[in-house]
Amino acid sequence: MKKILLVCTLFFVSTLVAQKSEELIPSEAITVFSLNNIQLLQKISMDQLVQYDFMEELQQELFDGSTNNKTIKDSGLDFDQKINVFLGKNPDYSISGVSFGVSNTTNLFTVFDDFTPVESSYSGVEWYDSYFNNLLIKGKTALLIRVEPNEKKVDKITDSIWYARGNNSPWEYDFEEEAVEEPYDEGDTLEVKIDEGYEVNPEDDFSDTSENLMKNYYELRDSIQFALQLDYEKLVLDELFIQNKKLVATDSRFAEQISHNSEGTFYFDYSRKMEKTQGLTYFSGVVPSIYSDVNELYEGNIITGDLVFVDDHIEFQVLTKYNKQLGEIYYSLADAKMDPAVKKYIPQSSPAFFVYKVNMREAYEKAYEIIMPILTKEENNSRLSANVMMLDLMNEFINKDAIFDAYRGSVFGSFNGVKKIKTKKIEFIYDEATYDYYEKETEAEEDMPVFTVGISTKRPDIPEKILKYMTKILATRKDGHIQYINNVKGSEYYVMDKAILNSAPLYMINKNGVFILTNDEDLAKNYTNGYDKKAISSKELKKASQGGMMYAKIDLNSTVNLFPRDIFSPKENEIIDALRGKSGTMELTTSKTLKEQTNLNLTYDFVTGKEGTGEHVLDMINAIYILTK
Amino acid sequence: MNNWLKAIYILPLFIGLSSCVEIIDDLSMNLDGSGTFKYTVNLSSSKSKINTILNLDSLDGKKVPKLPEIKSKVAEFTSLMSKQPGISNVKVETKYDDYIIKFQCNFTNVSVLQEALKNVINTLAIDKKGSVDYAYNWISWSSTKLQRSIPEISLQKVSEIKQSELDLLRTGSYTSISRFQKPVEKTDNPNATISTSRMAVMLKANTFTLTKNPKILENTIYLNQK
Repeated sequence: MKKILLVCTLFFVSTLVAQKSEELIPSEAITVFSLNNIQLLQKISMDQLVQYDFMEELQQELFDGSTNNKTIKDSGLDFDQKINVFLGKNPDYSISGVSFGVSNTTNLFTVFDDFTPVESSYSGVEWYDSYFNNLLIKGKTALLIRVEPNEKKVDKITDSIWYARGNNSPWEYDFEEEAVEEPYDEGDTLEVKIDEGYEVNPEDDFSDTSENLMKNYYELRDSIQFALQLDYEKLVLDELFIQNKKLVATDSRFAEQISHNSEGTFYFDYSRKMEKTQGLTYFSGVVPSIYSDVNELYEGNIITGDLVFVDDHIEFQVLTKYNKQLGEIYYSLADAKMDPAVKKYIPQSSPAFFVYKVNMREAYEKAYEIIMPILTKEENNSRLSANVMMLDLMNEFINKDAIFDAYRGSVFGSFNGVKKIKTKKIEFIYDEATYDYYEKETEAEEDMPVFTVGISTKRPDIPEKILKYMTKILATRKDGHIQYINNVKGSEYYVMDKAILNSAPLYMINKNGVFILTNDEDLAKNYTNGYDKKAISSKELKKASQGGMMYAKIDLNSTVNLFPRDIFSPKENEIIDALRGKSGTMELTTSKTLKEQTNLNLTYDFVTGKEGTGEHVLDMINAIYILTK
Repeated sequence: MNNWLKAIYILPLFIGLSSCVEIIDDLSMNLDGSGTFKYTVNLSSSKSKINTILNLDSLDGKKVPKLPEIKSKVAEFTSLMSKQPGISNVKVETKYDDYIIKFQCNFTNVSVLQEALKNVINTLAIDKKGSVDYAYNWISWSSTKLQRSIPEISLQKVSEIKQSELDLLRTGSYTSISRFQKPVEKTDNPNATISTSRMAVMLKANTFTLTKNPKILENTIYLNQK
């Protein structure tokens, strides 16, 4: 009996003290994605896995053929441990990497075949490096990490040394010295040109030429970058392996989040992202009290999430926590009701739509109450004081009722598919007798995604005034006229020709307490009073308006796959590409905003097809990764 | 004849963005072998797409030139053409609202025109890949016969166009017109049509088909001996 108890105790203790992959996440990590149930991924090929954006840090290591025909199972990973992808950034350097469990190092090194062992400075830790990354193995856990110095810092130090040596700008081009390439003959000696501005000290020892060769700007920069990289790498790894300063120990919120048994967890410390943002650091010197107060405002602002897999859908349950001050602003902002008038302008057939409701007036008053004291606190900045004075006076003199009645805070948007829109084109018409030709303007059709965006308004007279004035102001322009149309059906709208991409018209509808901008001709000509029975159901609107500030629904197949790449920015395309080719529905719901937190739920109902559950989980993680990186 | 390909060298984005490009190549021959060459690129039916793309910095890894850069390239083309021996009266008419570019010049003989275009395209070529080295003449003229063909370099360039880009050319057209001061007797290409006045020949092809078979616009036109 004693033996059994001893064995049980030993097993229990060994389980408790066993190293876990999350313990190798450095405290500098600001964003962490952890995949708990990696059993789901057993059948996924390594080639497929490394295609995902969240694996981009590993791609240089893995896109070399070493992953060919291997599944994750073959790669020596321990499926009883989590895989954690992390990112972090401060003004000096950024870190990125993955920590995971190892079950078989031989298999692991068939995938990470570019790593070579190096002498480890840390007891019990094996250290391997490659051109880009470091792989550290401690017991049954591994950390693949890259530390990169901040580019601006590298530039600053390089410039400082470069100019201190008396050099000219590296970007100055001397046309007189334009090199004429001469053929290189065997026996020629390589002449290294020393910058003439550099004074040679006769006491310098030049016997070691590798030490004393003058580097050009880029070589100098590379050396500085490399030296900084080693310094910061040591700093991060010393903290982790000597001082035991790991995220799971320094942030109890992360420790709590990672203990969840969901399929995956997400952690994003927004307060540290704000604090360590390069742009904001600038303010620490210029307006120190504001910098400190703004940081304080975001203190405790953390976003955590769980990825939960249920039957044929995946839920991403997000919790945003903030401190009292920020919570007051968010609470006031969310204290709004959806204007039911927007419902009739969202067609039932719309493959994607969102509704967003905020109380602009309340949020403004609360933000004014909280932010103005922060701004007025700074005493030694006359420019800031002048701006704050203007803000204060505007607050007194401006008719806030008119502003916040004109835009109360209910916004909606819908994607109404890709439609043919009418444009003009020039055609060449030929004379059959001579084949002479002349130009003729004719109607043409082009594919264009059709969008509608609208706001609810209590003061439709204000947008009406603006439109009437704009009609007159733009009347003398060659293109871009605004015309008022009031057809027999009682539909009235304004139309601006060649407004979108200099070819398609933009319609403006100001009716029923809703102001709409759309390129949907059908809506403008036939449904200015709403889609009536063709609009989304009251039940759907109720669902959308019942929750918090935002609701969105998107049918991936008929939306994302139809989006033309041309009209989006590279960042937007990155997000769209992550979802392209997928099918199913995504629904975003938010809970009522409280003074301490808001819950957000993203549900992905996927269509079971060739893809397995693992792929869907990875798709979801990938989309979230791109959104938050 | 192969000038629709030359447009690719000057404005590489045309290929990717123009689902409906219309090109007219119009050659008027005088009896002495001199003549006028007109070249028109009409992208008006794809203008919203072009406007969109011109707003981007890059597309598929290629830098998208801004409108001023395109205008400057067109001006450079005009200036370089004017300086070519045997070339005169160079005119370029542009309608950037509709994306129509019309080029026209006079030449003393077809060899001069060929050489001038070759020189200018090579000078404007951004990289070595864009340079043209013809050992082959795409046009020749005797007093009663005009022969037009596509040089080998065109075939090479066609093979460089990606499949996805080729699909965009399905609705485009290329029209080749040859005008003479003597009536046309016959043409070799069965797809060519002779105007009712018999003073002009027109050959029309779909740009997609042209990329698949560049020889489709080859033609030899015989004029009446009298």
